[in-house]
Amino acid sequence: MSTDERLLDRVRAAFAELEPLPACIASAGRAAFGWRVPGALLADLTAYLDAATAGLRGGARLLTFSGPGVRVDLEVTGAGEVAGRLDPPAAARVLVRHPDVSLTCGADESGHFVLSGMPAGLVSLVFGLPDGTSIVTSWVRL
Amino acid sequence: MRDELIALARQGDEAAWSALVDRYSGLLWSIARSYNLNEADTADLAQTVWLRLVERLAGLRDDAAVGGWLAVTARHEAARLRRPCGGRLPDLAATGPGPDTICLERERFGQVAVAIRGMPERCRRVLRFLALAPVTYAEIAAALDIPIGSVGPTRTRCLAGLRRLIEAA
Repeated sequence: MSTDERLLDRVRAAFAELEPLPACIASAGRAAFGWRVPGALLADLTAYLDAATAGLRGGARLLTFSGPGVRVDLEVTGAGEVAGRLDPPAAARVLVRHPDVSLTCGADESGHFVLSGMPAGLVSLVFGLPDGTSIVTSWVRL
Repeated sequence: MRDELIALARQGDEAAWSALVDRYSGLLWSIARSYNLNEADTADLAQTVWLRLVERLAGLRDDAAVGGWLAVTARHEAARLRRPCGGRLPDLAATGPGPDTICLERERFGQVAVAIRGMPERCRRVLRFLALAPVTYAEIAAALDIPIGSVGPTRTRCLAGLRRLIEAA
């Protein structure tokens, strides 16, 4: 073992005492796996405009998620009202995922949907399409 | 072996996912500490980053890609969480200890902990990554947003500085 490696062992021991790894990091990791939706197409957050930037009132935000051939737009008001659109349009089943709250609604044939009582915190939407496939939006903190 | 975990997790293997979580928890913790995040923000960071990893299991080629992706994502999330008025935990390894603490710590860890506190911030960060996580230089570079070529020289310089501080104590 080199002298650097011996010194690093002592550094490791010191950090383990000074800043021990909190259990919440690994437990959050294990819990996250339960939210897996196998085979879902991911729409990643590509734009996030808050009220000030977008010129909206009342703490509203505009979010855009994009994936291969799919786009989801959301307008979320400060009161938790959501107006959204799925493109390409489909009469999809919409599920809001959140660690404590679960909301569902349906999108109409033009892909529009509305939700109320959108919770604060980490959320993700799952769209169940008529052909049996699904789309998930990336987890974002509202 | 190293490249199998992500492929297994993609197929729903929970044990493989747990092994990935254990491998990279130290990396997330090092990043949270580098940004002085408090306990609640550290928990938020971990939850967000792990959920985003789960949703893109299909998009990451191999385990090597996981480390780099986690490092960059966690750094961005940590920067976002570190609000100007947010509750921040002081850099524990940098907090100046009182004379009594110094004596106690010398007995507990030799001079190493005290010497770490005497190091410049950049050194402390690199040492923390080397200590807390089985990370590659590429992952450290991604986590700290520094050129990969500077990680090795920084490591060498910081270990030499640390050794001088320990010997001078």
